[in-house]
Amino acid sequence: MTGLWVLVATVVAALAAGAVLYARNGRIRPARPGDTGTAGGQGPALPEPVAAALAPGTVTLVQISTTFCAPCRHTRAVLGPLAARTEGLDHVDLDVTHQPEVAHALGVLRTPTTIAFSEHGRELLRVSGVPKPAELLGALEPHLVPRAERGSHSEGG
Amino acid sequence: MDPRGPRFAAAVTSVVLAVVLVTGWWPLLAAQTVVFAIGAFVGLRPAPYSVLYRLLVAPRLGPPTEREDAAPLRFAQAVGFVFALAGTVGYAAGLTTLGVVATAFALFAALLNAVFNFCLGCEMYLLIKRFTPRAEQAS
Repeated sequence: MTGLWVLVATVVAALAAGAVLYARNGRIRPARPGDTGTAGGQGPALPEPVAAALAPGTVTLVQISTTFCAPCRHTRAVLGPLAARTEGLDHVDLDVTHQPEVAHALGVLRTPTTIAFSEHGRELLRVSGVPKPAELLGALEPHLVPRAERGSHSEGG
Repeated sequence: MDPRGPRFAAAVTSVVLAVVLVTGWWPLLAAQTVVFAIGAFVGLRPAPYSVLYRLLVAPRLGPPTEREDAAPLRFAQAVGFVFALAGTVGYAAGLTTLGVVATAFALFAALLNAVFNFCLGCEMYLLIKRFTPRAEQAS
């Protein structure tokens, strides 16, 4: 009889958890104080592979993936083309299967998580799950440097 | 991999684990443990539920619209194997609470996969990794 109650409880819990996960998938979370690179460099230092991916005049989407992650492939398929057609936006996919310390340093517990970094390595926002391209682009808009402005004070487009 | 195969397998797994919970009949859980083990350590193609899917279900559906990588699925099968093994040992040794709890966790993950196509074992890889000894990371 106990087993039947456990069964009912488990089914209810699974449906509730699934609904929450479904609703949270692709949600954009703005950077908080204490995140990597925030608050004028008071946050923890950036892991080396992330620092290496940053480029001047560019917002970099750092995707944290593992080999054991099917939605990571979907995320790559969304972000790759998005970065390719957006001026000043880069996408890097970091497989942390064998370097979990990178995920640890960034405070990432589930994959895929995508973190947008400014050219100076300041965290702008992060998305867990498969991002929705239109929403993500909207949130990044204020941080993307327009082509003309960029040309006036750097290498010239 | 046809991604609908693992989802079918997760649905069958859910039913099997639900029956185990209600009846407490541990040989069925032992059989499920073997199914997990084949999927995790031998391969997904010879896994019993995959065979069932290819024979019974796939011919009635059209060709898959997307393909999926096998590595995440095999990792998830390994996680399922650990819980099913713990459950089997629990039931067989008279530690019914252990049996029930482990089976409930496995059912929870299988249901998430079957209903929401959400692979709990895959996504929790980093979490699992954080609680395993650092020696493993030196590879």
